[in-house]
Amino acid sequence: MKPKIVIGVLVIMAGVILGSVSFLESNVEYMDFAAAEKSHKKVQVKGEWVKNHESRFDAEKAQFVFYMKDDNNRVEKVILEGAKPNNFELATSVVAKGVYREGYFHATDVLTKCPSKYEGDAEAVKQSL
Amino acid sequence: MIGSIIIKIGFLSAIAAVFFYYRAHRNQKQQDILFGRFSFHAAVLSQMAACVIMLYLILTHQFQYTYVWNYSSTDLSLSLLISTFYAGQEGSFMLWALYTSIIGVFLLQYSSRKNYEPEVMAVYSLILTFLMTMLIFKNPFAYIWDTFPNDLVQTGPIPAGISNYVVLDAAKSIWARFPVEGKGLNPLLQNYWMVIHPQVLFIGFSSMAVPYALAVGALLKRDYHSWIRVATPWSVFGAMILGTGIILGGYWAYETLGWGGFWGWDPVENSSLVPWLICVASIHTALTQRQSGAFVRTNFVLSLLTFIMVLYSTFLTRSGILGETSVHSFVDPGMWVYWLLLIFITVFAVIGFGLLFARMREMPKIPVQHSIVSREFALFLGASALTFVAIFVVVGTSSPIITTIAKGKASAMDIAYYVKTNLPLGIAITFLSGIGQLLWWKSSTTRSILKKMAPALVLAVVASGIVLLLGYQNFFILLFVFCSAFSLFANLQVGYDIYMGNPKFVGGSIAHIGIAIMCLGFVTSERYDEKKTVALERGKPVDALGYTMTYVGYHPVEDRYAFAIDVEKGGMRRTVAPTMYYSEFTKGIMRHPDLINFINKDFYVAPLSLEEASSGSEQTLTLQKGEEAEVAGLKVSFLDYLFSNEQKAAMAESRAFSIDATMQVSEGARKKKLVLQMKGDKGEFEYPPSNYVAQDKRTFEFRIAKLIPDREDKDKSKIEITVKTSNDPNVKPKGETLVIEASIKPYINLVWVGTVTLVVGFLLTIFRRVAEARIKSQT
Repeated sequence: MKPKIVIGVLVIMAGVILGSVSFLESNVEYMDFAAAEKSHKKVQVKGEWVKNHESRFDAEKAQFVFYMKDDNNRVEKVILEGAKPNNFELATSVVAKGVYREGYFHATDVLTKCPSKYEGDAEAVKQSL
Repeated sequence: MIGSIIIKIGFLSAIAAVFFYYRAHRNQKQQDILFGRFSFHAAVLSQMAACVIMLYLILTHQFQYTYVWNYSSTDLSLSLLISTFYAGQEGSFMLWALYTSIIGVFLLQYSSRKNYEPEVMAVYSLILTFLMTMLIFKNPFAYIWDTFPNDLVQTGPIPAGISNYVVLDAAKSIWARFPVEGKGLNPLLQNYWMVIHPQVLFIGFSSMAVPYALAVGALLKRDYHSWIRVATPWSVFGAMILGTGIILGGYWAYETLGWGGFWGWDPVENSSLVPWLICVASIHTALTQRQSGAFVRTNFVLSLLTFIMVLYSTFLTRSGILGETSVHSFVDPGMWVYWLLLIFITVFAVIGFGLLFARMREMPKIPVQHSIVSREFALFLGASALTFVAIFVVVGTSSPIITTIAKGKASAMDIAYYVKTNLPLGIAITFLSGIGQLLWWKSSTTRSILKKMAPALVLAVVASGIVLLLGYQNFFILLFVFCSAFSLFANLQVGYDIYMGNPKFVGGSIAHIGIAIMCLGFVTSERYDEKKTVALERGKPVDALGYTMTYVGYHPVEDRYAFAIDVEKGGMRRTVAPTMYYSEFTKGIMRHPDLINFINKDFYVAPLSLEEASSGSEQTLTLQKGEEAEVAGLKVSFLDYLFSNEQKAAMAESRAFSIDATMQVSEGARKKKLVLQMKGDKGEFEYPPSNYVAQDKRTFEFRIAKLIPDREDKDKSKIEITVKTSNDPNVKPKGETLVIEASIKPYINLVWVGTVTLVVGFLLTIFRRVAEARIKSQT
């Protein structure tokens, strides 16, 4: 009976430790560019697309480059690995996930937040009359 | 209108069923059982009728109903039109309630034979009641003028020439217009997977309610042992269907949505995986209880948890609580759904666990005597590992909630978390699923087990060696491969022995073989895959990943464009056609991949973007005096401005004038001066081009873009110029370019083969356990 209890307790402890360490490591925190620059970790930054700056898709490297302004109005160049995100032009705000390194924000993922669906619906229902 | 009335009738009937069945449990009167039975069937018939009505409204395009307008349109094919039934939240609850009703009819007869009807059906009817409550608050039969009163309801005379209106109040002359066309179905959902996947998933979700109802029924009846035999066939059925649904969803994501893989640890995927894991864990602990009577409480906990996890998962994905942390943009469903689901979870958790706690003391304590080297202990560890996986996945998926509570700010989990936490558990699970099959109940000796393990161990070493030839990843991946291979061979060995003895008992081994094959497929396709982003200029072959790809152009397919890419390797020549189009519905670019399925790999092509053809390239340079820059192999430097006194005078007198800029263009040793000019006349400026012909006959067109003179320090003067490569017949302009991501997924077929094997294993197990439950109830 006893060795089994010992094994059981050890297994549970190992599980809890593994879980909490991984959780803290992998948690993608929200922050602004200033904090992202210091953290060196994968983080997410919320902001707006700066429309009057360059934004283009680099076909050779398959990167989408644009400029983003965070909530503290700091503008940074964002290099997204991949194509231009969906609804990019419509988005009221964007969330970039990635790492700040060597003066740029290297994003692996950019999510777009679009205007409330309900407003869109009221518009759509009028159009379909 | 009639639809919402029928739902309310169904809701009341379900409440009546709960009432009569519960009274039948208390007084054991046959009359109450009959009342309960009648009420339950009335609820089932109402739900069916409501679904028929809804389907009729969809098929006849009744856009005066918000739901029909919101998700369908007249241009959809019949099968897609039918699938709009469950495209939205209201409809998917309808489907869930429908399958819960249908399964309930079978459960009623089954539980009646097992002498469990009042208890089980009281609980099950309560579940149906809650699902129907959802439909009362999120009414799929809502009229569109009730949803958008400000936009549609009008007062006064009805203008002539309008036919799509309805009079709401003739006395007050209140009327409303309604749409003649629907918004249509999200293009992501417009394919055959939408027809089959949600159906399978909801049958799975619905059947997860049965183990819960049986467990609570058993607690009510104070039957702590025989219920396990009654419940197991249902748990296995639920696990089989939900598992199939999960994999179908994964294949959908892989083949059509272009997620690049079959599993992305997305909240939607996770939320169906968690109940499945708990259910599978409960199947394993139930096995032990049938053998030795141990794990009485564990089995109750896991069976209750299976359904509660279905509810919690629904809450996570449907309440909008994950908000912007999820890739899936869930429409905010409103507060009703949020609170109803929370109440739903609380009620069923309190009933289940409250009753379990109350009965805890009187439950028999079966001493667990077996040694560490026994099948019981392996099963216990295996079930614990499965539960741990479920916990890790739940915690990860709930991280926006956890971080909101802890830090006040929601943040999501990187998918690396799931791999990190689950890989060690995967190793444990695969190892245990091999060794557990080789071990005997109660106790095996260490020597005998080592002897039995030997062949599988040797073969697993060989298999790991072969995988190692593909390249070394890391120690844990290699260990996972080893354990999966061990499980595969051990189960083949045991399965063969069992088959020789009694073929009916072979289900467990086959299911484990399936899992082991799937695990090997996960590693080969996800860890040994190769990816490359390739820019394919039209008509120009490009080599990548050992294949020669040529983009040959696009052709319209229905309302979208398919890009044809010829893929060649050796003598093989095939065409892949990924599609990409702009969708008015989502206001974005939709991309769908295409793939070639070989026996040993998939060649997978996902489109990224299409770059239009350009006639030559243009570049802008800003140069300071003396500064040099490189443009297309040429070195260009800015020497000086030339603004003669004569021209200055002309400018002062408002006559036509010109300013020159001297540039130097060099190619190796060849150096040439090039003069660029700006002409001014009556406030208008002109920048005529100056041509430069290179040694390779390319023609470049130079132009001034902007003068930036510095009057203080002439040496700091700058100039901005544009350099354009013109359309020289010898130099082809860059054509239309398709950018794709090509990838190779080695042995991905193992995943699909493993899935089918797993389902076959589940099926055989169901047959066996149903037969077993029948024999038991006869004696």
